Amino acid sequence: MKKLLTVLVVLFVLAPLAVFASGASEASGAEADGQYKVALIIENTIDDRGWCQSMHDGILGAMEALPGKIHYEYSERMTTVDAESIARQYIADGFDLIIAHGSQYRNMVSDLAAEFPDVSFAFGTSSDIIADNVFTYMPESEETGYLSGLIAGLLTKTDNIGLVGPVDSGDAARYNRGFILGVEAVNPDAAVNVAYTGSFSDYVRSAELATTQILAGADVLTGSSQQAIGAMRACAEYDDVLWVGQDIAQFETPEGQAKCVAASAYNYTAVVVGLIESLDEGVTGGVCIPMNFNNGGFIFEYNSALSDVVTDEIRAAVDEAISQFTASAGVLSNWADVQI
Amino acid sequence: MDIIVNILSMTIPFSVALLLASIGEMFNQRSGVFNLGCEGIMAMGAFVGMLVPFMVGHGGAVGQGWNWLGLLLAALTGALLGLFFAVIVVTFRAPQGIAGIGMQMFGVGTAGTLFRHFVGGTQSIPGMQNTPVPLLCDIPVIGTIFFSHNLVVYLAFIFVPVAWYILFKTSWGLRVRAVGTHPRAADTMGINVNRTRYEALALGGALAGLAGAYLSVCQVKMFSDDLIAGRGFIAVALVYFGHWHPVKIMLGALLFSFAQTIQYNVQGLGINIPYEFFVMLPYVVVIIVLAFTSRNQTTSPAALGKPFNREIRT
Repeated sequence: MKKLLTVLVVLFVLAPLAVFASGASEASGAEADGQYKVALIIENTIDDRGWCQSMHDGILGAMEALPGKIHYEYSERMTTVDAESIARQYIADGFDLIIAHGSQYRNMVSDLAAEFPDVSFAFGTSSDIIADNVFTYMPESEETGYLSGLIAGLLTKTDNIGLVGPVDSGDAARYNRGFILGVEAVNPDAAVNVAYTGSFSDYVRSAELATTQILAGADVLTGSSQQAIGAMRACAEYDDVLWVGQDIAQFETPEGQAKCVAASAYNYTAVVVGLIESLDEGVTGGVCIPMNFNNGGFIFEYNSALSDVVTDEIRAAVDEAISQFTASAGVLSNWADVQI
Repeated sequence: MDIIVNILSMTIPFSVALLLASIGEMFNQRSGVFNLGCEGIMAMGAFVGMLVPFMVGHGGAVGQGWNWLGLLLAALTGALLGLFFAVIVVTFRAPQGIAGIGMQMFGVGTAGTLFRHFVGGTQSIPGMQNTPVPLLCDIPVIGTIFFSHNLVVYLAFIFVPVAWYILFKTSWGLRVRAVGTHPRAADTMGINVNRTRYEALALGGALAGLAGAYLSVCQVKMFSDDLIAGRGFIAVALVYFGHWHPVKIMLGALLFSFAQTIQYNVQGLGINIPYEFFVMLPYVVVIIVLAFTSRNQTTSPAALGKPFNREIRT
């Protein structure tokens, strides 16, 4: 009986492996001449409608822009502890560029870059130059936050706006401060209620926080990182509440269709294409790639399903801001002065 | 006044997942088994619970009956996982702590894998709608706080006295307490220790599964890999907090959610204190209360964590 139970338990545990085992590769076949093997390491999943998906989509976009140039594989749900193991595996498999998508991977990248000088690495968000074979990228998210702030400031009827942030650091901190600058530019009377979940992926807490802000009077909300999906879902429970997003993938959800007036997104295609072009030129790192409207690092869209709530005033304000951002980088260089 | 009403009205629905999971864990521990895998079972419950309305409605609106079916299947899945855990720790007598950690990883990993296979990326559903209690919901303040929630909220709180009755007033409850306190004596009296522990773990698993489904079907109305985010472990802590008594556990769940809701509101007041302090506030409250109440552990099941082998005298 005990042996039978042992066999059943083992089968129960191993069955999912047999059923669901599959590779995580977006290109197959032998490596061709001039083709770069690119690996992506992420802490969430490629379809999280947020941070990780945006880089995955960016790499797929780069593969389209540079046909036959990229062999791409990815590893999801890699904690900082697990990531080094898979990174070493990629290195052993001859990968040319390993993108560790998150500043939490900094130490791992730093160590591996020193150990394997012939392999290129990239991680972000960071503007630091840590080695000659490490690229970094830094979204200047105060620009996307500013656009969201303009929209929220002009949409709000209660002059009470909610902001559900993950943590106050990196591109999230820049987004939040840009958002406040945007609101202040068009509606100085509006109060921005900023609160943090303390997590990039706690959807429940994000939803609870948004609900709390809505009950306190907020009628327009925003938020960054993948945790913001929970907050946007909470908005869908209330008729008179709208959402301004930080990822266009949010339009693909039912609540995004119903509530997300507009969204910006990181255009990592431009970053990845830039990385490949650098490798072509023999530059293997030592460069920080900023992301902004000026270099095509951001894109912005309205939700066509909610075009009736977007007034001419909103469109004019946003168009003017985008034209300024596109004309030159660093327009919002005072973002760090905003106190939250 | 509004802010107080808001805090109290949110405290109740936010506490339900913790309440259900910790009451389930209480039955586990009362039988002498602590299940650190509560988190994993909750994850599986959350997945199964949202899968039914999602598959039927393809992400769109469905009848409330499908949500209830999702909750039922989530409870069933939780019960099966509870039985699976029982095979490991009761029949095989594996160390409960290690097995619980394994169950946590297994549940979270399997739920995520199945979700990716059958659903795809982070996905929402319309979920369970609120059902304000007629007449009572119109009472100023009281109605908003107590009678404006979805049906599962009311049922969860009604279940607290039911759990108390089951545990302290039924022969099955007596058997559960007996095998958790002195399994050798219970065995001598003719109680089947292993069977009783299997039953308690199935019930505990069912409630954990239901707790997970509450999050995905009734509260957040979506699923993602990280949905549970440590709430299963908080549920285990609340059992100690509540001294293995359903009413005290309920108070613990309410206190935790109250502290959580307060920090959500206080963050927005612009007080010049680092937000990290507010985020950790609910956990600090639980730790402080645990520290002050841990001296009174006379109600803890004496055989908690100890495998029972009737062939070996202990």
